[in-house]
Amino acid sequence: MRHEIKKISRIVDELTTLFLKEDTNEVDFSIKRLSDHTVIKIVDYGTHFTDEYIDQLREIFNAQRQCEVEEYYWQLCGEVDDDQELTLIGCMIDKATVEKKDGDLYLELIRYNM
Amino acid sequence: MVVVNKIHERELHKEDKLKILSVFPVAFLLFGLYLCGDITTLIAGLKAINLSPTILITDFLEVGGLGPSFVNAALIGFFNLYLLKRYQLRINGLLIAAYMTVIGFAFFGKNIFNILPIYTGGYLYCKYQKIQMKNIILIIMFGTALAPIVSEIAFGHALNIAFSVPFGIGLGLLIGFIIVPLSSHMLKFHDGFNLYNIGFTAGIIGTVFTSMLRSFKMEIQPEHILYLNESSHIAILLGVLFVYLMVIGLLLNRNILTKYFKIFKYKGRTITDFTQLVGYGMTFFNMGMMGMLSLGYVLLVGGVINGPVLAAIFTVTGFAAFGKQPKNCYPVILGLIGTALLMGYDLSSTGLIISVLFSTTLAPIAGTYGPIAGIIAGALHLALVMNIGVVHGGINLYNNGFSGGLVAGFLVPIIDAFKKGD
Repeated sequence: MRHEIKKISRIVDELTTLFLKEDTNEVDFSIKRLSDHTVIKIVDYGTHFTDEYIDQLREIFNAQRQCEVEEYYWQLCGEVDDDQELTLIGCMIDKATVEKKDGDLYLELIRYNM
Repeated sequence: MVVVNKIHERELHKEDKLKILSVFPVAFLLFGLYLCGDITTLIAGLKAINLSPTILITDFLEVGGLGPSFVNAALIGFFNLYLLKRYQLRINGLLIAAYMTVIGFAFFGKNIFNILPIYTGGYLYCKYQKIQMKNIILIIMFGTALAPIVSEIAFGHALNIAFSVPFGIGLGLLIGFIIVPLSSHMLKFHDGFNLYNIGFTAGIIGTVFTSMLRSFKMEIQPEHILYLNESSHIAILLGVLFVYLMVIGLLLNRNILTKYFKIFKYKGRTITDFTQLVGYGMTFFNMGMMGMLSLGYVLLVGGVINGPVLAAIFTVTGFAAFGKQPKNCYPVILGLIGTALLMGYDLSSTGLIISVLFSTTLAPIAGTYGPIAGIIAGALHLALVMNIGVVHGGINLYNNGFSGGLVAGFLVPIIDAFKKGD
């Protein structure tokens, strides 16, 4: 099996842990599956992340998609709460928008079907 | 919450990275041909290596001679480099780790005959699942840990060779087919705290296969073929190669000497891809440093550099691109050495040297939970690795990865039991 749905769920799982553990108490997620890609939208309300950290998130999520890393490690995504798998998320998505507006953090992640 | 450091280094094209990595097989080829002296020695050595059952521990330096062993490693290195180029993969830390591991194990266990069926099995899996081969090439590279099962069935003399060779190749195909889903699934047992995950997966597969063979009265007998002669010329070659990596690192990033300590912040748990987090310059420098430290340890305890030791040194060097750095490795090593001394083991024996070097598979435990946890992990690793080979009958080359997976899967939930909070 290729586990496409489960991979999307894992990305959401990892980010839920990141935001609730390291940042705020209120997060919205929206997942939309389209014919050739999936869009994950996240709003992290009242973020405490620094601008420098947000820049780092933007950079790491916009790293090149690496299917070989995804195929091997996707089941690690969202597995532990002591550590983050942000590099892995970067390997599993194609594009990311990361913006801070009015004190909230907005993310839009795009993952194309392979 | 360190994510990435600002990286100021010379840009490297993908071709340049491949050229940097190609220096290893080129050096092995030249060194091997020089040691062979003539073509007859080379052919006889390569034949002996390829027709050997290769069960743990079969040191190719002893089976085929030094020259042919280095040529064998060069051939496997070139083959894997070709695949990296053919599938146009981004040369990340994990691929560097896989490449160096495969090269290292070409000195003890892997040859062209026994790895090809596993690659072909992976290819068949891709055709069946309609996915691209490049997605799984990395897993297959590591998956050649089970290559000895192909050689053992083919040349282990348990069956007539007319049946044994096709049967061995068939098993290799099957392993290549099943290793992808299995390796991904097994990660959940240790949550990425064992860097040699395929070693753990291969240990499970090896245990199942060996048990099946035993139920058909096909007992796999362990081997203990080791090269124990002069190895100072190999040490010099390794030293030159590791200095080369450090120099490449310095040429790419001139601030390394003052910024190297930044790499110590990373816990090393999978996925810690240093090429992405600290850049290629720092990664190559760290690889050279870890290679030098490994080589220095072997020389310090008076060990012989033979096939298994070469495999261990190159694996540590490779994984220095994917999580290992001196700070998260030393507690595990200290724990293992301390336990070994208490138990009266000979530190200079090949078995103990490779256990020390491979124990760094548990570096993420020290990196995440601190040096005490690392020391305990090292001590547990020694206890397991010395007893676990019999379970899979020696067909899993990454025996330490199997042990490391069990230690991590056992230890991490226990550490968790003592933690408080959300």
